[in-house]
Amino acid sequence: MTLLVAALLLLAALSGLLVVLSRDPRRQIFAMAGNGLVLGLLFLALQAPDVALSEIAVGTAVTPLLFLAALAAIRMDRAKR
Amino acid sequence: MTPRWRLLLLALALLVLAPAVLRVALTLPAFGAPTAALGQTVNALAPELRHVANMVAAVNFDLRGIDTLGEECMLLCAVTGATVLLRGARGEHDTARAGRLPGRPVTPRADATVLVCRIFATLTLMVGLSVALHGMTTPGGGFQGGVIAASGLLLLYLGEGYAGWRALVPPPVLVALEGGGALLFVLCAGLPLLAGHPALQNRLPLGEFRDLYSGGLMVLVNAAVALSVAGSFGLLLVEFLEETREAGDDPISDEEDR
Repeated sequence: MTLLVAALLLLAALSGLLVVLSRDPRRQIFAMAGNGLVLGLLFLALQAPDVALSEIAVGTAVTPLLFLAALAAIRMDRAKR
Repeated sequence: MTPRWRLLLLALALLVLAPAVLRVALTLPAFGAPTAALGQTVNALAPELRHVANMVAAVNFDLRGIDTLGEECMLLCAVTGATVLLRGARGEHDTARAGRLPGRPVTPRADATVLVCRIFATLTLMVGLSVALHGMTTPGGGFQGGVIAASGLLLLYLGEGYAGWRALVPPPVLVALEGGGALLFVLCAGLPLLAGHPALQNRLPLGEFRDLYSGGLMVLVNAAVALSVAGSFGLLLVEFLEETREAGDDPISDEEDR
């Protein structure tokens, strides 16, 4: 295991911890996007570039946006009442 | 259940499961050390048998193509289900105006943002196209290319605002892409069956090793997956952003939000 992979594994654990520990949903979404980016880099370091591509596109762009849209929907719905 | 009971249950579960987990963990191969025999076999045989350089594509679109067809159908079902669910609350109507929180200030977008988003949206779409096209030669392929292209749509949304985005991304086109891609895949799998061959049998000319269009039928299947995935993810984005409100019940706002 190279230093790079070890560092990325540590970073993945750390960013995953941040996702769990952040209580505000909006911050949690951005923490999750960061975690997705770290995972993408980890996959790249482990020589799986195609998995890294999907992880970065799905994990850091599409999924966080869907969550943000859902959060916005909830807030708009609450404001209406 | 009190916290004490929960802890007791946890301890009990750990007691039962820990030996098994430990035993499996100790017999696992070392990190990154071995290479699976199947992978080595595919690496040795596939270039000669299928003339493609990207072994992942050879495995996904040919050697276990039926599995990929199943996955493709799963994606189709999931996106269709999500769409039906979201439209169930909203109805078929849509609106060109973004929802917004009353009282929340709307900052107009800077020209620089629009310019940067336009440039990068174009680049992202091109990268997605390139990744999908080079599926047979370099890492990537239909799924990755499709997802990258769909995430380029997000940059369009960021740059153009909701109304402009909705004008640029018509859902019927996305639906046609999604369904058409899946149909193309099913045809690729089914037509050989009708002719009395195994499903997905690669009867097309295989082309040259490392050529953009090598792999015969795999090129078609790859294109089908790319179309379908781009359509599916695009539709999912539209539906989620659209779902945020019912058409016509927005407070009047003079500028699009976010």
